[in-house]
Amino acid sequence: MRTIIVGNGLAGVISAKNLRDLDKDVEIDIFASERYHYYPRPNLIEFLAGNIPLERLFAFPKKWYEEQEIRVHLENSVTKIVPEAKQVEIEEGRTEDYDALILATGAFPSIPPFKGADKRGVFTLRTLEDTYEIIDYLEDHKKVVLIGGGLLGLEIARAVKSRGAEVEVVEFFDRLLPRQLDQQGASLLKAQIEEMGIKVHLGKATEGIVGQDSVEGLTFKGGESIQADLAIVAAGIKPEIGLAQKAGLETDRGIVVNEFLQTSAPHIYAAGDSIQYNGRIWGIIPASFDQARVAAVNILGQQKKYGGTIPSNTLKVVGLYVTSIGQVNPEEGTLEEIRLEKKEEGIYKKIVCQEGMILGAIWMGTRKGVDGLNRLISQKVNVEKWKNALLEDDFDFSVL
Amino acid sequence: MEMEKWECTACGYVYDPEEGDPDHGIAPGTPFEDLPEDWVCPQCGVGKEFFQKVS
Repeated sequence: MRTIIVGNGLAGVISAKNLRDLDKDVEIDIFASERYHYYPRPNLIEFLAGNIPLERLFAFPKKWYEEQEIRVHLENSVTKIVPEAKQVEIEEGRTEDYDALILATGAFPSIPPFKGADKRGVFTLRTLEDTYEIIDYLEDHKKVVLIGGGLLGLEIARAVKSRGAEVEVVEFFDRLLPRQLDQQGASLLKAQIEEMGIKVHLGKATEGIVGQDSVEGLTFKGGESIQADLAIVAAGIKPEIGLAQKAGLETDRGIVVNEFLQTSAPHIYAAGDSIQYNGRIWGIIPASFDQARVAAVNILGQQKKYGGTIPSNTLKVVGLYVTSIGQVNPEEGTLEEIRLEKKEEGIYKKIVCQEGMILGAIWMGTRKGVDGLNRLISQKVNVEKWKNALLEDDFDFSVL
Repeated sequence: MEMEKWECTACGYVYDPEEGDPDHGIAPGTPFEDLPEDWVCPQCGVGKEFFQKVS
């Protein structure tokens, strides 16, 4: 039995790892357009910030792939899938046969339709190559603007600031981290980010990037403008669905899969940032990890269902702890929200409850209690008796 | 209470509290929740926030 995996990001490599852990004999080939072995993307931020050397970027050493008999064909892009023949084409017509196929094609940065995005000095950050290009350009362009005030945008802002750049962040929404925070948390975060010397512009739609050939500034709809000589767009991701689409598989915003991670062709599976399951694009590390495992188990003939992953995000900005888990912005009055804010200490905590169970939480200013919270949420522990106490700093989560 | 194992969702490394992470100064018997905030996955380098409890 031979499994071919398209893509060597998290979903691709973790699928391979699971396949190997479960079955010593299955043949595993990963084809990837990447030049480099798998690196967890959060490490790119640390690399950009200058906190880790190149060799610390990679998840596994080269010899691990050899020991695991996982063949990784770097810079060998799959150009076509022929489901009827169970074949893929690798560049100029070379074909490879498979018994099962996993699409782990990932995603690419989405760029909102504004003018001037093709100018020199406009970047996105998704790959190691991108990171090198930004580091290089930063050498003599120190006035940076981040388009996008989400998790990635803020983390990049912190990283380039630590390289000595002057940084401004532009967010389309009226608050930072619109998906992970509520109004109260977001305004606390904004104050903290600005205190670090990063300027924040909220509720601003970028109209265009201006400059002769290279970036000289940004204009907003409504007339305002700012100066910058380097722009990084961090406005979300788009699933890479081209191959699947060409092969006639069902796609929507992502590659559509069922709870077994099968695409509309049952012997073709998909996992990671490229998929759409339950109407939703997941795009977070723990989800890709769970999906990769489920796909591997099913390929080997056992049955395992994917039931979704509770999003849990922590913003890693020096000195700030911002964690957001699950549902944090319920519709007014539908669920119980319990809050604790200590402004001077930079602490804001909120839990969202329904019948004693926590559905989501915002935890700012400390990470103490986050692991416990994650456990209470994933195990659906009833916290009714403790729901006020557990927001306190000295709460002992082990009682629950 | 038996100590819980946690798994890195970027590489699959499993933190076993019974073993700790002695190479990085974490004594055997240290629960995941008590690891320092700047502890990172000894396999792939991502932070604690990318770990999930092994179910």
